[in-house]
Amino acid sequence: MATGPKVANTREDLLRVEGLTKIYDGAVKAVDNVSLTVATGEIFALLGGSGCGKSTLLRMLAGFETPTKGKIFLADEDITNLPPYKRPINMMFQSYALFPHLSVWENIAFGLRRDHVPNDQIKERVESMLSLVQLGKYAQRKPHQLSGGQQQRVALARSLAKRPKLLLLDEPLGALDKKLRETTQLELVNIIEEVGVTCVLVTHDQEEAMTMASRIAVMSEGYFLQVGAPDEVYEMPNSRQVADFIGNVNMFDGVVEVDEPDHVTVRCDECVHYVGHGISGNKGMSVGVALRPEKILLSKERPQGEFNWCEGEVVEIVYFGDHTTYHLKLPNGKVIKAQEINNTRDLSCGLTWGDRAYARWNDLAMVVVTQ
Amino acid sequence: MAKVQSFMRSLTQGRQLVIGVPYLWFAILTAIPLLIVLKISLSEMEATSVSDMIDWTNGWPTVKLNFASYLFLSSDTLYFQTYLSSLKYAVITTVICLAIGYPFAYFMARSPKHLQPMLLMMIMLPFWTSFLLRIYAWKTLLVSNGVINNVLLSLGIIKSPLLMMNNSFSLLVGMVYSYLPFMILPLYANLSKLDLRYLEAAADLGTSPFKAFWLITVPLSKAGIIAGSMLVFIPAVGEYVIPELLGGPDTLMIGRVLWDEFFSNNDWPMASSVAVVMILLILLPMALFNKYQAEQSEVKV
Repeated sequence: MATGPKVANTREDLLRVEGLTKIYDGAVKAVDNVSLTVATGEIFALLGGSGCGKSTLLRMLAGFETPTKGKIFLADEDITNLPPYKRPINMMFQSYALFPHLSVWENIAFGLRRDHVPNDQIKERVESMLSLVQLGKYAQRKPHQLSGGQQQRVALARSLAKRPKLLLLDEPLGALDKKLRETTQLELVNIIEEVGVTCVLVTHDQEEAMTMASRIAVMSEGYFLQVGAPDEVYEMPNSRQVADFIGNVNMFDGVVEVDEPDHVTVRCDECVHYVGHGISGNKGMSVGVALRPEKILLSKERPQGEFNWCEGEVVEIVYFGDHTTYHLKLPNGKVIKAQEINNTRDLSCGLTWGDRAYARWNDLAMVVVTQ
Repeated sequence: MAKVQSFMRSLTQGRQLVIGVPYLWFAILTAIPLLIVLKISLSEMEATSVSDMIDWTNGWPTVKLNFASYLFLSSDTLYFQTYLSSLKYAVITTVICLAIGYPFAYFMARSPKHLQPMLLMMIMLPFWTSFLLRIYAWKTLLVSNGVINNVLLSLGIIKSPLLMMNNSFSLLVGMVYSYLPFMILPLYANLSKLDLRYLEAAADLGTSPFKAFWLITVPLSKAGIIAGSMLVFIPAVGEYVIPELLGGPDTLMIGRVLWDEFFSNNDWPMASSVAVVMILLILLPMALFNKYQAEQSEVKV
């Protein structure tokens, strides 16, 4: 699933956050005791819905919010109480915040001028930034004369011009339309890798997080639910919440019946799951079984054996072009989703509304979650 | 289709009607009176009618213009000096208003949202009392045996009364006091709309709050500064009441000259030409400024 860059394990930590907490008005915990480390060169994504605390966390890293508790270290230096203009951190703002009264050139040079970089070096640096984001011929334009994608690239160039140790991206692609977002995602990752800057990125878009980040932290109500590589978070969610938030999932509730080191079975109301690996639980425990729609196969024939299938009625067919999602109503009323790839130009399994169908999956398709 | 077209036509007609109202307003209340003033300034007497000014003796119309008042205007240095002193006081008033009004508007815009209507109210509160009354009130404060001098004398801070009345000091106090709200209101409207993310972006790029104010806040509030300055400068040039009540012999302003020409000398053509030159004096810098602005904002590709 992940196309983002992988990190070597030997890299040193650049950013270290310890027990960071932000409480608003003495009561609302926006960020609740968060600790994390980000290695040099890593692209780290904070993923969560609105109000999960990801933006507050980012703003504390930038210095716009003062933490109620906890410490922030950048390259082993405590920067918790440093004002934003003294941090070697730059941020690309959501909807960019380009200075409207300055040209593209002056926007990019803005940070360098504040550091009293000599003029010839400013010129050199700005020009290399402009060619990096391929905006050389737009240097004298004002921000409002550029398209959304161009503004985004100016914002990136401006935040990279000072060669920050850490780059913060606040919903970097949120203001772009879907098609542009896809191409810009890869472009952005390429530029970041070329420069070799460490990145913390905030997004509510799981696709953006998965394609761009080397590690993702799934946030909810101010704390981290799970931190891991994109494929890890997707294929091995550690809780119902994570499984639910990342992608689509069918959740079955059941009880562990057989608990062996190499396999377990979970009896649910709808079917019996045979899971081809051990779990950290015990017999009789209530668990959830998470099964992704794309891992389910539909057919009209009844599958062999007693495990990992169920029967239902097709109640909804949603056509997406590249795939079709079937909604299957099980005898107990539960509706599960199954995704079939449209690898021929016929509808793949010839199912239509009201058909009886069998859903089956293999014994490594699902994840047992205990929380 | 025809229905749609007729609807569109009625729509554009309606639109023209709506746009036409302010044009009509402008024509009746500004353009026509100005043309009348221009006409009087170019006639021999106020009573000269337009038809009297057109001469048909050669078979085609020749307009007889009387430039006598303008010539007199340029020959007597009193007028020139009065114009200059009017501009001087208007500029000083504008600069002082900006210096006081900008921080005022800035802190108003940054104060807690629930306090802002009250602060705005306090700016407008003086308008509840007559303008004349408030200028008279300044008189009682500033005269030699007025409130300020009496307090300072009784405290022993000064030995003899300060001369604060009927000079340029009292004139400027009155002008700044009267015109300050016109500076603050457009500045407040502008500054309260400033997107604070620009300041965050500036801080993020290494700018201290003090520098960010000069590099971001001030340039982005340029429109408010210009609007406020115009609202103060233009009426200040032609101000009559304040110099009359608070000014002295050495603070002659063009409004006073205008009044004298109209009501003491009863020389309407002369008064009209004084007025026309005053309008030109205000319009020319504005036109030049606008042209400069337009050139500045042109696309450089």
